[in-house]
Amino acid sequence: MKPLEIDNLSKNFGGLQALNSVSFSVLSGEIVGIIGPNGAGKTTLFNCISGFLPFDSGAVTLFGRSVKGRKPYQIVNLGLTRTWQLVKPFFGMKVMEAMMIPSFCHRAAKRHDSKKKVRESVLRILEEMGLGEKIWEDVDKLNQGELRLLDIARALVTFPKILLLDEPFSGLSQKEIENITTVARRLNAQGLPVVIIEHRLRELMKLIEKVVVISFGRKIAEGTPEAIVKNENVIKAYLGERRSRIGLA
Amino acid sequence: MEILIIGAVRGALYSLIAVGFVLIFSVGGILNLAHGTYYMLGAYLTYIYYTFIFGAGGIGLLTLSALLGVLSVGVIACLVYYVLLRPYIHSLTYVMVMTLALALFVSEIMSLLFGVSGTSVPSFVEGSLSIGGIKMINQQLILIPITALILPSLWYFLKRTRIGQSIDAVSQERTGAILMGVSVETATLITTGLSAALAALAGALIAPVSSVVPEMWLFPLIKAFAIAILGGMGSLVGSIIASFIIGYAEVLSSFMINEQLTELVALVVIILVLIFKPSGIMGYKVR
Amino acid sequence: MNLHKETRLLYKNQSPFGWAMIVAMALFALLSENIFYVEVIKIAAIYAIFAMSWDILTGYTHEVNFGFAFFIGGAGYLSGILNSIFSFSPLIAIPLAALAAGASGIFIGYLTLRLKGPYFSMATLAFASILFKLSFIFYEITGGEEGISGLDVFSDDPTKDFFVAWAVMLAVFIVLTLYAQSKHGIILKAIRADEDATQSAGINTAYYKIEAFAISGFMAGVGGGVFAHSQMHIGPTMLSGYISIIVVLLAMIGGMGSIVGPLFGAIALTILNEYLRVVEEYRIVIYTGILILLIYIAPEGLFNLKFVRKSRILTFILLGERRPL
Repeated sequence: MKPLEIDNLSKNFGGLQALNSVSFSVLSGEIVGIIGPNGAGKTTLFNCISGFLPFDSGAVTLFGRSVKGRKPYQIVNLGLTRTWQLVKPFFGMKVMEAMMIPSFCHRAAKRHDSKKKVRESVLRILEEMGLGEKIWEDVDKLNQGELRLLDIARALVTFPKILLLDEPFSGLSQKEIENITTVARRLNAQGLPVVIIEHRLRELMKLIEKVVVISFGRKIAEGTPEAIVKNENVIKAYLGERRSRIGLA
Repeated sequence: MEILIIGAVRGALYSLIAVGFVLIFSVGGILNLAHGTYYMLGAYLTYIYYTFIFGAGGIGLLTLSALLGVLSVGVIACLVYYVLLRPYIHSLTYVMVMTLALALFVSEIMSLLFGVSGTSVPSFVEGSLSIGGIKMINQQLILIPITALILPSLWYFLKRTRIGQSIDAVSQERTGAILMGVSVETATLITTGLSAALAALAGALIAPVSSVVPEMWLFPLIKAFAIAILGGMGSLVGSIIASFIIGYAEVLSSFMINEQLTELVALVVIILVLIFKPSGIMGYKVR
Repeated sequence: MNLHKETRLLYKNQSPFGWAMIVAMALFALLSENIFYVEVIKIAAIYAIFAMSWDILTGYTHEVNFGFAFFIGGAGYLSGILNSIFSFSPLIAIPLAALAAGASGIFIGYLTLRLKGPYFSMATLAFASILFKLSFIFYEITGGEEGISGLDVFSDDPTKDFFVAWAVMLAVFIVLTLYAQSKHGIILKAIRADEDATQSAGINTAYYKIEAFAISGFMAGVGGGVFAHSQMHIGPTMLSGYISIIVVLLAMIGGMGSIVGPLFGAIALTILNEYLRVVEEYRIVIYTGILILLIYIAPEGLFNLKFVRKSRILTFILLGERRPL
């Protein structure tokens, strides 16, 4: 059973065809990147997959189950969690408090038989993210990099079977990006399929094994990072003169 | 026929009230729950000026009282905005709670001064007119020409004068307006005064034929809100159209069903619109 | 691990000040010889019930409910009608009325799910105003302007009557404090911070919002019923905008989002209101004026003032929050 199968997904916004019959799959343990010029429809894709936007036609299947018409929280409880491009932390709370929230969802609650175990789980995840020292800080006081890690931690507390990261590198320094890359790699090595939307191609290509390219709502290419950077259509669509800057080293 | 005219009078009255309400919301982001109070004060102040300052001396002085009343309300509104609202203008919750509290406060003051049964104001224009066989009170009828004069003047002000255009700009695209050098502060201040004055004018005009009581602030406020969401919170034209829709709906329901249900019309409209089509007729997105 | 004890501390906050107030009220009622004063703190206790019930919804979601009169007056009238027309004892009428209030909380909560900010607030105001108008339209049942009189009281002894109100206040305080600190309260705070993020944490936000509305309505309904029977009368004031706004002001001045803040606000200010009876004619005006002044000075409420929140001692005494060093 494939973790995620997108089949001819289409979404129309009052005349603007944001997504046009997009199809691709994510296989077990894969780490996939979704790239494309600005406004191509990548975030719309994520929003449709995660239930925040209803889609017009096509199918999204999560481990064999259709997610059409389901509310976002239901999809999370089926095992698919996403992070946000514009980070959405829980301002006004302490880190530890904020992290308890995902632990209240059905999926996480089912896994633990005692409150103590829940807390231990959350603490462990926070420590793995490198936020162990900050659990009593106000969320408002964290910097951008830490907020990103917190968002990922929030996703992990729901025990996802597949993780979607929406532009996790944006606004971060090199070091912070490396941090997140390490985290993503580790999670994937443990068997979690990961799908990442990104613009920072150099850093992304080092991390992923498969690329899906979206332009103007359509999938225009799919393949390995090496193949994609050489793909005529992709280059035409958006790499342009940046091609020389996409090394693989 | 009667319905046509009464409905038109109502629509005119409501549009004077609603336009101000929508304007200050789109310009200043202020949901002024004291708007009904400005309407009420228009009526009460007319009475106060006329009775206590001018010693009830005839129609000329009555008109003067009304004008003074309208101006005073404009000034009061500006003061309220400047002193009480500006410091916390970013918090919509505060603005709503404070304006509602003020509405209550003024209502209690009026109750204290003039009692629960209120007062009465004499008519500006005596007598009645016979239109198509129906007898209509002149005092009600003048609302139509006055509104017909004021609304286009307002449009002219907003679209053709410099000050008006800056207000218009702020209401449509705030950030853009700031970047163009428009002073949002000034625009909001002027709009506050203007909005309150319009409501006060409505109150002053309707005072002779309506009951001037301390509770007269609540339902005009509710209706203004109903009209605003029906017409779309940002659209002046929408609110004028909606004013007439609600005006006629009320008159129709009063004739056809039950007089007591008229007041419920606006309430039901609010509930229905908010639940089914929050963006209204000419709309604005709720989010 | 230390961390466990610390995390548990997040959720077991009891406000010493709040408890002190509650105990003080009980002691006062037992020791005081003055019936009038006992009446006053009885009313104060009931307003505290209203304020705390309001807080659990608005204080935690930050969507301002302007139509609380719906639950207060609605349940008050229902209980009054059950009592006067159908001869139900208050002990049965009040819970029934409160359940009806809670059920309407579910209904209104569901209808207003998608509304935010001013739209939510005006919708709640509209619902309350509809009920207000209906009470005049159906004046045969509701008594119109005059309301319903001659309701059964709990006891002829004013002190016992007070303790009924006090016991309800105590129960509401305990239940709401526990609720606010449980996952339900935390989820409400999260919804207020960001509903999308809460959804993407796997939480059914609609459920928790409606649940809070229902509990808020139920508690207010109990308060409304207790009020009606303790005054032996229910009138349209309890359905009016007046009571809705007063409850909002009492809770906000105390400090929204803390349960104990509104408890304090309601008690202190209601006692002030009664104290102002010395200038009865001007009382309402002065009272409302003071409330406006207080909201202007402390818009977030007295318990939420910056200097309170910054001080470890005050935060502990007033809110019961212990902050890990």
